[in-house]
Amino acid sequence: MTRLALEGVTFRYPATDTPALTDVSLEVAGGEVVALVGSVGAGASTLLLVAGDLAPRVVGGRLEGRVTFDGDGPRGIVLPTPWTQLSGMAFTVWDEVAFGPANLGLPRDEIVRQVDDAVARLGLEAFVSRDPTTLSGGELQRVIVAGIVAMRPALLLLDEPTAELDPAGARALWQLVRALANEGTAILLATSDLDGLPAVADRVVWLDHGRVAASGPAALLANEEVIAANLGTTVATVWRAAELPAPYPLTVAHAVQRWERR
Amino acid sequence: MTRLHPFTLLAIAGALPALAWIFPAPAGGLATAIVAMGLAISARAFRTAVFTAAPFWLFLLLLHDVPTTVAIGLRITTMVASFVWVVAALPPPRLVEAMVATGWSATTAYVFAATLSAVPVLRARARRIADAQRCRGMSPRGGLAHRLRALRALALPLILSALHEVDERALALETRKLGPGTRRTPLSPPPDPVSGRVARWSLVVACLAALVWRLR
Repeated sequence: MTRLALEGVTFRYPATDTPALTDVSLEVAGGEVVALVGSVGAGASTLLLVAGDLAPRVVGGRLEGRVTFDGDGPRGIVLPTPWTQLSGMAFTVWDEVAFGPANLGLPRDEIVRQVDDAVARLGLEAFVSRDPTTLSGGELQRVIVAGIVAMRPALLLLDEPTAELDPAGARALWQLVRALANEGTAILLATSDLDGLPAVADRVVWLDHGRVAASGPAALLANEEVIAANLGTTVATVWRAAELPAPYPLTVAHAVQRWERR
Repeated sequence: MTRLHPFTLLAIAGALPALAWIFPAPAGGLATAIVAMGLAISARAFRTAVFTAAPFWLFLLLLHDVPTTVAIGLRITTMVASFVWVVAALPPPRLVEAMVATGWSATTAYVFAATLSAVPVLRARARRIADAQRCRGMSPRGGLAHRLRALRALALPLILSALHEVDERALALETRKLGPGTRRTPLSPPPDPVSGRVARWSLVVACLAALVWRLR
């Protein structure tokens, strides 16, 4: 069973004394979607780099505490800017998606199977022969996600995965995230698309200045303090702004139920 | 030409400058420069080759007499044109596939390919930065001082953005398992017929023979 555990993790980037993360403890199990929310600079991206074994190993810095990971597959991370994640070594979208699986040294027929599956899941069939450098930001983002999904990661880390996507693309991505979790993948993501989280996240972790300020089910996004920190869902925020009574509804469906019961 | 195996292309691009320096000047340099320029024309890279070689001619002329300038200039022109041609004719992904198929580590192959792909990438970015600076009123025309200011406004963002991107690209490559010791599966290794291998070894033998002939 996949399991990522961070115990009392404090992390400092090179040449800085101020920690980007302070005493963070967190667990993500296989089949679970955990969402990190917080304002800019809260430490969500850093936490993903630590969870992905990229910090301090690649980016440098100092880590205190313990990070353990058990899983049957690799850890895959999707970073926020798709342009810098292109391998630069692919003629076509298909080759770009196959870059990771090929680096894992998998047999060719298995690579073909996994790449075709990832391409279908991200709805990229029409793009497979295109040069990846000619794609739009949203298309490229889907290609990058497909490249990681094709590696069959046991732990999937997503940093602002919907930033380049249109609303329909974002919905499709959240559905994919849920489907991957249902298949046993452990998923840790950082997003500012808060309205998408109630349908996808099992748990929400609120990070504030590198510390875990609160953690709980997605209903946390309708919490008074969280809304005051501008991290609530749109529905909860509007309900509170309208000075309607608490508890605040999380989604449109919740709001409709509450309104009809008034 | 572009259908040749990547190693054959590299062998041609390596042999031409070697022969240019081995053969007596200026005839040897002239012959190899003509071949290299012909290749650059075939890859539609003639202008790039000329513009890259031109400053070398200028500096040589300032430092040497005409015969020496011609002798060294032709050799440098061969080197420049060969490099420009191979960059234009050899897509980096094909080189990676060829190297991986022959047992090179994926990271070594990537370093080679990244070197070849750096030129067009930086050129495209420089064009974007120049456009952006032009939108903000910076014109590359005018007096020397004005041009130097424009150059600084181009060079600084170019260097800084390239350095910044190196960090992000390293993370992206790492997460896609391109690291030391990676044994990558070649997806579509370019065919390497016997004729191509014979041509490559012939070029090596020709260079060695020319060297022996010169040292005799």
